[in-house]
Amino acid sequence: MSTSEAATVIPVYDVAPGQGAPSKAPAAAPSAPPAAAPAAAATTAPRKFPMPFFQRSDRGSRCMAFLDFLLRIAAFGPALAAAIATGTSDETLSVFTEFFQFRARFDDFPAFLFLMVASAIAAGYLLLSLPFSAVVVLRPQTTVLRLLLLVCDTIMLGLLTAAGAAAAAIVDLAHSGNERANWVPICMQFHGFCRRTSGAVVASFLSVFIFVLLVILAAFSIRKR
Amino acid sequence: MDTGEQGETSKAPLSKGVSRGVSMLDLILRVIAVVCTLASAIAMGTTNETLPLFTPFIQFKARYSDLPALTFFVVANSVVSAYLILSLPLSVAHIIRSGAECSRLVLIIFDAAMLALVTSASSGATSIVYLAHKGNVRANWLAICQQLDSFCERISGSLAGSFVAMVLLILLILLSAIALARRQTE
Repeated sequence: MSTSEAATVIPVYDVAPGQGAPSKAPAAAPSAPPAAAPAAAATTAPRKFPMPFFQRSDRGSRCMAFLDFLLRIAAFGPALAAAIATGTSDETLSVFTEFFQFRARFDDFPAFLFLMVASAIAAGYLLLSLPFSAVVVLRPQTTVLRLLLLVCDTIMLGLLTAAGAAAAAIVDLAHSGNERANWVPICMQFHGFCRRTSGAVVASFLSVFIFVLLVILAAFSIRKR
Repeated sequence: MDTGEQGETSKAPLSKGVSRGVSMLDLILRVIAVVCTLASAIAMGTTNETLPLFTPFIQFKARYSDLPALTFFVVANSVVSAYLILSLPLSVAHIIRSGAECSRLVLIIFDAAMLALVTSASSGATSIVYLAHKGNVRANWLAICQQLDSFCERISGSLAGSFVAMVLLILLILLSAIALARRQTE
């Protein structure tokens, strides 16, 4: 193969056997042979970077991958906060009547249990997907990894939305009750429990919003790539 | 060069066939999702039960609008089915011209938003329906299904279509993403 112009940059891209010339080389010299097209992209701009990774052509998709990484860190906080807030909600009242139970914990309500478990799963998933997102930042040409992250993000979106909505239904019922069904609003008695679980629901919906942004960003970056 | 070009031209009809298959599967799933969400909305929206008993303590007429979560369920499913019906022409256009990228991106964005909407609606309604079946001992909430049998059955059954639509929307997002990724590697 012709290593033209005595280029000092050695390309480190793995050119897969089935992969043709990438169409994104910006000022690709037309004389470059297709198998050395990454080398052409490297040699047309004769900069001597110490790391041959950072090419100008990748800047847009690298930017979006970095934004994806940041959004993941941003979504981890509210998800973890929702899990912890729900898990530590426990209130005991100090009054006594024959008819009322006076202790409220999250596992008395299956919806809150679901919220805690789903938020914990989402937080754990976000933490585990950080290395994959970092790999996408370093090697922006991987489409398979982006696709995998998009699929898992969509599934997590569904899970977390379901948990947040179920808990929100119970929280709304606890705040305002329902006359038709004779369901008494329990927030009158259990102030702290109500506040904490309401806050957890809000945090989980914030995390859901960031997940939606992640899915949209992944779709954009697959298209641009 | 020759073998490379030969390889490309022999691959082109196969990959075109696969893209067309993906677009057709997209259309089929969309139609099924329309049917599911519409069925759920109608099933929940036509609930109306009156019991012929008289007691001063419990109301004996039940409609979906008595519980706000069920109202949200009906509204959200109607919105999602309307969106899916409106996106059917776009899906048909993808079968005919499989080269459109921007429209697939728009479809993914709206599908993600509709996924969040339908999931939250069905999940909230499930939570309330579960409460109606089992009640809650701690909060002293009675299970209303003891009295209102057919109302309870109707609202429980209408949840199924909504959950199927949620799974289908996830598959639709996946299909659009695969179609987008294939466009890039062709």
